[in-house]
Amino acid sequence: MNPQVLAIVLSVAMFIVVLVLLRFYFLPEKYAVIWLVAAVVSIVLSVFPGILDAVSDFFGISQPINLLFVGGFFVVLLLLMQLSLELARTRDQLRKAIQALAIEAEETRHDTEQ
Amino acid sequence: MDAAGELKTLIAIPAYNEQASIGAVIAELAGHHPLEHVIVVDDGSRDDTSQIAQAAGVRVIRHAINLGVGAAMGTAFKFAARHGYNAMVQLDADGQHRPEYLETLLAGVGTADIVVGSRFAGGGEFRSTWARRGVQRLIAWTVSAYARTRLTDVTSGFRVSGPRAIELFSQHYPVEYLGDTVESIVFATRHGLTVKEVPVLMNERAAGLPSQSILRATLYTGRILLILVLAGFRSSPPTIAEAQRRAKKGKKR
Repeated sequence: MNPQVLAIVLSVAMFIVVLVLLRFYFLPEKYAVIWLVAAVVSIVLSVFPGILDAVSDFFGISQPINLLFVGGFFVVLLLLMQLSLELARTRDQLRKAIQALAIEAEETRHDTEQ
Repeated sequence: MDAAGELKTLIAIPAYNEQASIGAVIAELAGHHPLEHVIVVDDGSRDDTSQIAQAAGVRVIRHAINLGVGAAMGTAFKFAARHGYNAMVQLDADGQHRPEYLETLLAGVGTADIVVGSRFAGGGEFRSTWARRGVQRLIAWTVSAYARTRLTDVTSGFRVSGPRAIELFSQHYPVEYLGDTVESIVFATRHGLTVKEVPVLMNERAAGLPSQSILRATLYTGRILLILVLAGFRSSPPTIAEAQRRAKKGKKR
């Protein structure tokens, strides 16, 4: 079997998974864009592997697959960085909300007791 | 404190699962400070800490989940700022800090923004192995360099914050590990506040390094040094920068 078929099947499957997650509100638009782009890029590259060869040629990379690995690696790193930032922000917001809520609740309790 | 201002003092006790000791701590405190000006910040305890504290007659703020002692102190400072307190004493819930030193600490508020009760300022030494003493000294030396004054007990949680410190800490308080002690001093001095130490005695408790094994001691040391380097490298957190911008604008008008 041509390995290209496997690549196409996998990238189309990924595209469908993203669409399903989007449709049922599991994935907010904010994150959907990056995953849709990733899915479309992998479909395009698996259908037209010639693009990879041409770009590798341009950068002087002898094995086109290495370009794919390096590119994929950096995209994943960027995604992880974005997740770290998002997590830090969410933790910060959660902490502030709990602190504000705790103070308000105490004040309400204190005022009604008087 | 200067002649014009009178101190309105809040005592803040951060507590997490301290039902065994919180009652006795409040009972002892009652002889030294009016309990309506004592707040226990229950940091999501799963035991009866809140109930005991409430029954003892102090005000109790409850975090819905455990956020860490730094966040508990942050909440206490926000509370102090909202209610117009101009001095806030931090006191541990485990009975380590003796209330008879409250006056000693508060007497220093006029001369520094933060007054730390130190076990070693009176000449005492951390009784332990030479390695631990060395680490403790290195930390004290680094924090002293930031604070531009000699500090001997930078991990002491027995301290009082004056009006300027309350204003700063109500906007931001370091929440990461050890932020409530070491990082808060560096953070405060980098924002122009002054720190000084007064000698106090503390009750027997696991004081100093919470480390049993060499591995844990090394991790602790590494972490605290990273905190110290980062604290010097970091700029003002967004909340502080925002407040400073607003203050500047207000002056121009």
